[in-house]
Amino acid sequence: MAKEEKKSRRAVIVRGVRTPFVRAFGELTKLDSIALGGAAVKGLLAKVGIPYKEIDGIVWGGVILPSAAPNIAREIALDLQLGAEVEGMTVTRACASGLQAITLAAAAIERGEADVLIAGGSDSTSNAELKMPQKVVHTLAPLALGKPTPGDILGALAQLAPFTDIFPKTPKIAERTTGEVMGESAERMAKRNEITREAQDAFALASHKRAAKAIADGLFDDEIVPVLTPDRGEIRADGLVRADTSMEKLAKLRPVFAKDGTLTAGNSSALTDGASAVLLMSEEKAKSLGLTPLAAFSSWSYVGVDPSDQLLIGPAIAVPRALAKAGLELKDVDFVDLHEAFAAQVLSVTKAYASAAFARARLGRDTAVGEVDPEKLNVYGGSLALGHPFGATGARMVTTMSNLLARSGKRTAVLGICAAGGLGAAAVLERV
Amino acid sequence: MNDFLLEIGKNPQARKMLGALGLPLPIPEPLTRDTGPYSDLALRDVNVAVVAAPGHTLGGEIARALVGAGANPFLADPESLGHVFREPSEAYGRPARALSSLGEKEKLGAVVFDASGISTIKDLRALYDALAPLVGRVKKSGRIVVLAREPGQEHPEVDAARAAIEGFVRSVSKEVGGKGATANLVRVAKGAEKRLAPVLRFFLSPRSAFVSGQPIVVNATAKELSEPPLVRPFEGKLVLVTGAARGIGASTAKAFARDGAHVLLVDRPDDAKELSQLARELGGTPVLVDVTADEASRTLIDAIKARSPEGRLDVIVHNAGITRDKTLARMKAEQWDQVLAVNLEAVVRLTRDLEPLLRENGRILGLSSVAGIAGNMGQTAYAATKAGVIGFVRAQSKRLADRGITVNAVAPGFIETRMTAAIPFAIREGARRLSALGQGGQPVDVAEALVFLASPGAQGVTGQVLRVCGGALVGA
Repeated sequence: MAKEEKKSRRAVIVRGVRTPFVRAFGELTKLDSIALGGAAVKGLLAKVGIPYKEIDGIVWGGVILPSAAPNIAREIALDLQLGAEVEGMTVTRACASGLQAITLAAAAIERGEADVLIAGGSDSTSNAELKMPQKVVHTLAPLALGKPTPGDILGALAQLAPFTDIFPKTPKIAERTTGEVMGESAERMAKRNEITREAQDAFALASHKRAAKAIADGLFDDEIVPVLTPDRGEIRADGLVRADTSMEKLAKLRPVFAKDGTLTAGNSSALTDGASAVLLMSEEKAKSLGLTPLAAFSSWSYVGVDPSDQLLIGPAIAVPRALAKAGLELKDVDFVDLHEAFAAQVLSVTKAYASAAFARARLGRDTAVGEVDPEKLNVYGGSLALGHPFGATGARMVTTMSNLLARSGKRTAVLGICAAGGLGAAAVLERV
Repeated sequence: MNDFLLEIGKNPQARKMLGALGLPLPIPEPLTRDTGPYSDLALRDVNVAVVAAPGHTLGGEIARALVGAGANPFLADPESLGHVFREPSEAYGRPARALSSLGEKEKLGAVVFDASGISTIKDLRALYDALAPLVGRVKKSGRIVVLAREPGQEHPEVDAARAAIEGFVRSVSKEVGGKGATANLVRVAKGAEKRLAPVLRFFLSPRSAFVSGQPIVVNATAKELSEPPLVRPFEGKLVLVTGAARGIGASTAKAFARDGAHVLLVDRPDDAKELSQLARELGGTPVLVDVTADEASRTLIDAIKARSPEGRLDVIVHNAGITRDKTLARMKAEQWDQVLAVNLEAVVRLTRDLEPLLRENGRILGLSSVAGIAGNMGQTAYAATKAGVIGFVRAQSKRLADRGITVNAVAPGFIETRMTAAIPFAIREGARRLSALGQGGQPVDVAEALVFLASPGAQGVTGQVLRVCGGALVGA
């Protein structure tokens, strides 16, 4: 019954776009997460050209949310003057936030809550806010909020003495529960899963080469929308892909997370600014508007693992779960797209897929999920080459895979994303 | 109650200074404890050396226990043990590496020695060969666990060799106690191999901080239990603790509640205030009744029925106990009677009345004492009751084995409580220091032992007395 209902109302992906992805503190520094999101949504609507009144709302994903206006989705709708009726919500699920926004939108459409939704995500590491220590906030807030006498001010100063720990701390990507920086977790995963430096560098190299080729072949032209900046003019191209990198160049880089480590700037994803947006609607709506859908979700899955164990191994569990829900085996899918936080993390995950022991202990199945065919994996590169604006990555992957399915005429793609907090996300896309 | 030497021991500068002065004071090493809830990764990132005597049989269980708990295994002889680690290592990303790959200076969190292959006097040499180079590398609050087979039913030389291992382990515990490390012996009966892993976990974890120099047997006596849960082991379970208002009883109630149990906290009406407050804090149920009262059983059964519709109970902890220390000649008959009534008669009677309500795989736990094992000046009545508890659990364990119920006792040594704080200084100091760890234990150490014995993972431990005494000099 439920299944039939689902069949009768399916959410489809009509179009996806993204801004160029550039290194943090680069060309997009002047645009915050809201402005970047606005640029992506504006570009998306320009490409599709549907009347604004058809849009029910925006679902947005972000990781570093602007504290003065954390509901990015609504701010985008208001900034672009899409109409007061276009509502908005913003979700956060670490690096899976973009995918989370899209699957939420799909669920809302399939449930009949909405007909047309824009979903996606953005992040601007360049605009991460410096946080005042709580000690300072708690001491100074009464002064700022009340009518302090000189005595109060002196008293507050006395409380802050001897003036240690009163300066804002540099934000870093550290796990709240373990205090470990994400690269350190990935470094430990490399050691535990015996992923060599060479294997990581080779994987990173392939990511750059594939991304560079996709750019050269014009395969991203349809999905990248230019962004107008106040200080650098119009930004049209990705900034991180290195067509000319080589094993020799990568081998020269020093480990960054441990002295005797294997993770370098070359085989780790960079802090990136960018946004990506996807247009979803019910199948009937697409038909009535005369739009050709690209793809739809067969399934998705979100999981959690112990962050103190292997922080980024989540996709090793989420992907098999999503595949099982879709009634598929890994060998059945045409494309595998794994978010590349670190080469070591992707290789740890694919090693787990290939392990029968892992499948028995962690997935309750007798056989390995399967070897991932390198020809199907991250065919246009991934976050190592393109960069990783946290909230945007999931939407970037959905966009690229939907386009690839439509263009190639193949049937299915599976997406896997690891995220802070020990989260794992996966989704199966099918061509419509 | 404050242990002056232990406080000094916590300060590295003071430690150094006293060392430099050359005072003959053995400064005890503060123990590392884990008082959080049970977790999947009880041994997360602990480097564990695994060594085995030829003819070893427990490698697979050791591999499963270590890797599943998040330890990093280092094998003294990868050729002989590597294959048993392959599957779990791959599944959990904990490759078993050669011990030689770990720098000579690198300390070890634990050493596990599989001595199950030892059956002749000559074989005993393996103990020396394996552990002589490793004892010095065990770090502060580290662990040494030797696994062996039980003596009995075989050739006298086999028994001699296997019994010898116990003397060896007890002595090792004295050698490593100065750094807060422990050494224990786990004997695995034939057919009980599958029950070893959770027991090994306990003895390697910080939860066994004050258990040292002890032998324990993992047997197949109690009916089997499939897949014991390692996290929140008491979820949905009803646990009754007598004497729960303070000290060891309060610690025990807290530990059970922490791991998911609903606790019925039982104590005398005089302690209503403390008991109710603790019960509220733990979300448990206070039951005010004197365990020696005529209506005690009735009151407890009513409390159980009020909480559980089917009137079923999972764990009974007989913790209530009193002392009336007097030499035999000076002791009054009433004093003798009081001690016997609380410490032993109530245990027997309450077990008789409540045992029918115990669920399958239930647990009965008694509190013995090192005094009950070794005897103590001025404690004739007390020691009699505490030795009596041992006899009681041994007999009950056999009787209830078919229902999967295990029955054990914990025998605390010197524990820092209100009761021991009242002991005269000189005697108290003696009791603290005459142990491998050179300090008193905390109530939580006894609580952790009780929680462990009550946990589903301890299905292989029944009819036994686990001493929580820091390797006290006294007692067999």
